[in-house]
Amino acid sequence: MLGKLLKHEFRATARTMWPFYAALLITSLGANVAVRVMESKKYSDSVLLRIFSTLVIILFVVALAAVGIMTLVMMVQRFQKNLLTSEGYLMFTLPVSEHSLILSKTITAAVWFLATGAAQVLAMLIMSFRVSYVNKAWEDIRQLFSQITSYYAVNGAAFILEALAVAFLGCAVTCLMFYAAMALGYGFPTHKGLLSVVFFFVFLVALQILGTMGLFASFDGGLLGRGYVGTNTAVEVIRSVHLAMGVAAAAELVLGGIFYAVTALNLKHRLNLE
Amino acid sequence: MPIFECRNLTKSYGAAPALSNVSLTVEPGRVVGLLGPNGSGKTTMIKLANGLLTPNSGEVLINGMKPGIETKKIVSYLPERTYLSEWMSAAQLMDFFGDFYPDFRRDRAEEMLARLGISQQQRVKQMSKGTREKVQLIMVMSRAAKLYLLDEPIGGVDPATRDYILSTIIQNYEPDSSIIISTHLIADVEKVLDEVIFLNRGEVVLRSSVDAIREEKGKSVDELFREVFRC
Repeated sequence: MLGKLLKHEFRATARTMWPFYAALLITSLGANVAVRVMESKKYSDSVLLRIFSTLVIILFVVALAAVGIMTLVMMVQRFQKNLLTSEGYLMFTLPVSEHSLILSKTITAAVWFLATGAAQVLAMLIMSFRVSYVNKAWEDIRQLFSQITSYYAVNGAAFILEALAVAFLGCAVTCLMFYAAMALGYGFPTHKGLLSVVFFFVFLVALQILGTMGLFASFDGGLLGRGYVGTNTAVEVIRSVHLAMGVAAAAELVLGGIFYAVTALNLKHRLNLE
Repeated sequence: MPIFECRNLTKSYGAAPALSNVSLTVEPGRVVGLLGPNGSGKTTMIKLANGLLTPNSGEVLINGMKPGIETKKIVSYLPERTYLSEWMSAAQLMDFFGDFYPDFRRDRAEEMLARLGISQQQRVKQMSKGTREKVQLIMVMSRAAKLYLLDEPIGGVDPATRDYILSTIIQNYEPDSSIIISTHLIADVEKVLDEVIFLNRGEVVLRSSVDAIREEKGKSVDELFREVFRC
């Protein structure tokens, strides 16, 4: 049943996301042309063209930010509307478990976060295509990656894959933190939205405190203190990066597990649809 | 085995009791009216049966099972509000119900939509309130479920639509299935009922067959309801 939920979840969310991606890519093309116009000696004297080009570039930057914000809004709104308001009467009477409902929402949202990241990178590549001063920056980044790969061999690719996995987990955990806050807030008879916001900030502050404590613990007799991490030799760097990725992934899994449990328990035992 | 059973069922919202120690059974093949004034506990009982609420004490059983995935497979539920996603078309709704309920009969739904002149491509947000209620009822009644739980299926619609909804309910349920209809519009539904359960302030105050009310008391269910719940 999870597969069927995912199918309908992607169908429901894609109709919101595709137009934003299309707008982003169109504005990135426009921005590319605008930057070239501004670089060109032939057209750069025209005030009107310069103003228009500037506006197109601003539009591109706005679209770049809007896609990210929209992904976040969609993730929150989809969970709230589909599970905690009238639509919840249908979703919670489907012959599926609460776990399938939460997982379908989490997986879909995390995939959209990654897709948004990919769309933003693609848009920036399009915007900077054959633009001289941006090309220089891309060339530097490309060289950095090629150096990492040549120096650390297969570990360069492994770093990227690990970073992607940690990013995916991070997206899922962020979603679950929002879901847990809403599941808690909507269990109350009144002020559901306000309480959801309060719980979200409680989680946020708790994470900050835990993160700071973890950082101090890692220095004080932890992995850093015991010399597991270093940058003196290539082997040390490889070990340090893999270790950091592993610790980050483990921390994400623990946090995700906690937020997931809070969400599942509240939806199962404190569901309070009006 | 009863298809629906409440055993000492109690549910309260904070200090306010919604259901107090209710025990009752409904056998297969019966059309039962769950009747009572506003706030009598009808919707709470139906929500408990669907697992949308958890009881404070006692239990509710569907075909001998507590509400869960297995009971949701055999219960077709119509809530008192529209639960359809506004962006979906009638065709997408049929896809959705067909995917999750193996007992959903698409041909039956398509036939009812066509009879009402509702396009399969029409989206829920383009439909009037009455049309939305009809579409929702069509989805619910197109399932070959063992138990239909219909919460205020005729509330808020015009008399012509009420007749259509009631005829749709009666024509489409399986003969060995049971229907529990919660409403306070007694006159409209009493012609389709086999039995009635009167709820007041969370307690069962009367349980009888419709024939017994007519023969023994010489009254219609509507008249008896007005007498029992006189303000």
